Amino acid sequence: MTRSVWKGPFVDGYLIKKAAAANGNRNHAIKTWSRRSTILPTFVGLTFQVHNGNKFIPVHVSEEMVGHKLGEFAPTRTFKAHSASDKKAAAK
Amino acid sequence: MARIAGVNIPTAKRVEIALRYINGIGPNNAKVICGEVKIPAAKRVNELTDAEILAIREIIDRDYTVEGDLRREIAVNIKRLTDLGCYRGLRHRKGLPVRGQRTHTNARTRKGPAKAIAGKKK
Repeated sequence: MTRSVWKGPFVDGYLIKKAAAANGNRNHAIKTWSRRSTILPTFVGLTFQVHNGNKFIPVHVSEEMVGHKLGEFAPTRTFKAHSASDKKAAAK
Repeated sequence: MARIAGVNIPTAKRVEIALRYINGIGPNNAKVICGEVKIPAAKRVNELTDAEILAIREIIDRDYTVEGDLRREIAVNIKRLTDLGCYRGLRHRKGLPVRGQRTHTNARTRKGPAKAIAGKKK
């Protein structure tokens, strides 16, 4: 189910203020825990430090990212795969 | 023999059914197209007049993305996600379910046939 258009995109209020303030100096990263915030067109070119539950992941916002959420770019899980040649199991 | 939208040659079937052989035309779209050209449900493809075939062709060309164009569009959409580095893109890259399904079990459509784990018994 997609969000109703009349509500407009969801962004945490403080993030809009911070982004507006940071518009002057582009290389200052905004630390945020607000993974749920939509990326607005005004955010393009900014860098966010998005928390993934453990540490902050730098996310440089490009034009294509508009409309996605900040959290989409800071994965919360580490991918663990079995190595291709697992000799440990064969030796058992 | 009727060629509609490139290489598709559906034959002695009812038009509504035959149109579904085109990639991108499903049950609903086929029905809508037949309604637009005013083809009765019982009519078969080999009974179509040239004018009707032409009309079908025109409608598909005008209103629908179909076959190669559709495949390209889908591929481009997926490529956009993978290049973006967003969560959905990562899932596409790894060949895992994209929409939050469980992967502890199942998810075989995306993951392909189960690989045997060496040394696991019972």
